[in-house]
Amino acid sequence: MVDVAAAPRAPVTPRRRRDWTPELLSLPALVAILAVMGFPLLYLGWMSLHRWSLVGFDPPRFVGLANFAHLVQDERFVEALGRTFWFTALGLASNLPLGLGIALLMHERFPGRSLCRALLILPMVATPAAMGLVWVIMLDPTLGIVRYLLGAVGIDHPPLWLSDPDLVVPTLVAVDAWMWTPMVALICIAGLAALPPEPFEAALVDGASALQRFRYLTLPMMLPTLMVAAMLRVMDLLKLIDIVYVMTGGGPGHLSETINLYNYLAALSYDKIGYGSAIALVLFAIVIACTLVLIRLRRPAS
Amino acid sequence: MSPQRRRRLGFAVAGWTVTFLLIAPFLWMVLGSFKTTVDFLAFPPVFVFTPTLDNYRQVLADNSFLHYTLNSTIVATGATALGLLLGIPAAYALARWRRTGIGVVLLLARMAPGIAFLIPLFVMFLELQLVGSYVSLIASHLIFTLPLTVWMMIGFIEAVPIEIEKAALIDGCSLVGVLLRIIVPLTAQGIAATGILAFIASWNNFLFALVLANEKTKTLPVAVLGYIGYNSIQWGTLMAAATFITLPVLVLALCVQRYIVRGLVAGAVTG
Repeated sequence: MVDVAAAPRAPVTPRRRRDWTPELLSLPALVAILAVMGFPLLYLGWMSLHRWSLVGFDPPRFVGLANFAHLVQDERFVEALGRTFWFTALGLASNLPLGLGIALLMHERFPGRSLCRALLILPMVATPAAMGLVWVIMLDPTLGIVRYLLGAVGIDHPPLWLSDPDLVVPTLVAVDAWMWTPMVALICIAGLAALPPEPFEAALVDGASALQRFRYLTLPMMLPTLMVAAMLRVMDLLKLIDIVYVMTGGGPGHLSETINLYNYLAALSYDKIGYGSAIALVLFAIVIACTLVLIRLRRPAS
Repeated sequence: MSPQRRRRLGFAVAGWTVTFLLIAPFLWMVLGSFKTTVDFLAFPPVFVFTPTLDNYRQVLADNSFLHYTLNSTIVATGATALGLLLGIPAAYALARWRRTGIGVVLLLARMAPGIAFLIPLFVMFLELQLVGSYVSLIASHLIFTLPLTVWMMIGFIEAVPIEIEKAALIDGCSLVGVLLRIIVPLTAQGIAATGILAFIASWNNFLFALVLANEKTKTLPVAVLGYIGYNSIQWGTLMAAATFITLPVLVLALCVQRYIVRGLVAGAVTG
């Protein structure tokens, strides 16, 4: 008779312990991320609730949400906010079509194509602060090469570019576009290379014109790629600061001041640490919100 | 000429024109760096002139400029090395054990404005009396070099066949041994590319040095502003300084051009 209780037990194995190896390997990185990113962000939230000044002897004073409430009354902030969206809209409107255009061109076979593609990376890796200054020289209203080139095609009285209240933002967008349109182009080149050839072959057989193929095949199939490029550009355009700082300092007046620049000035030049923290949180929230909207657009609800 | 060849020629002309326009500012910068002040102030601008090395002599004779170059090198090297040291083990763990959530952290790091970290870091480093130190600059540059390293290295490590690691483990190799003797040698090229991208990002960074560096530790992107301040622009010197700063970056970038976009997707905290 077999005793049920004495039935052979499962082979004895130690209870499988949780494997902590991955946690141990990523621990140093995690500690570093918490130290330079996690904790500072929490501290930023704390500071945004205070009137906080580094100069002088006043200790930080808790003011609740007063800093955030003050934002809506701060004309300079509201204007910088609107202007930043204007920068972003102009940036997208120029970068995406130009980038796709360059990509379509570089997608075709021609002698020296790979060298051209390699050279495309140069504007986006060059030190922005240094190249911003080079552009200041090129755009100089009296001696700049741009004035000369425009004169050569018959435009004798070009605008003042960076000193012109109406043109300063478009001019800065153009310099930003010079740096980053090639990135959009490279992303689109990769996207174009990944498109399946069959629909295009079928369209050719059916006698579709180049324009029709672009309108009904390339463009819709490239939309996901363009959305990725748009997402990257939006993240960076909303945070634009380097070239604005070195090229105009936000001027003339405050007419080219972006949120990020105003944020830097408010917190670290005007010593309103608490108020600056509030702006930084709002800017962060805006970037997150805009990115989420774009992610949402990428996957349309079906 | 066949229509086929004419088509290709048309694309070649268009493609090269676009490329030329995009790199023209670099050419103008290098050209300008060899001009005397007289040539620089000529209008219409001169394209053919007797080149001079005076601008470079002036930039390099300026001891503080060499000092800023040293600062940039120290900070970029430090931030890159630390990023690789911390990032590679983490990337290995993430590539092989697939812990989710890291993607969200990387995306958040990509979206965050630099100023959101800079304000608290500035106050913290002030408390620690570290404002103006290399430590503060290197630590703050980790904000972009570390996510960039993790992001790039996950891709490179995933490309290593896992069977090699399993064989090594069966033969009694420890996990650290696997990391050091298998992963690191097999992804050496990827590590080099990642290191170069991190170095470029750190070398180019403007805002962090603007806030955290002082007169002694400021890096080149901030230092170059000195040529445009006060009353006049020293055009030729500025062009020479700009060439001096950007040329190493351009050369490094061409070496790793295949990975540039991937790196920019992950790690450019631009402001």
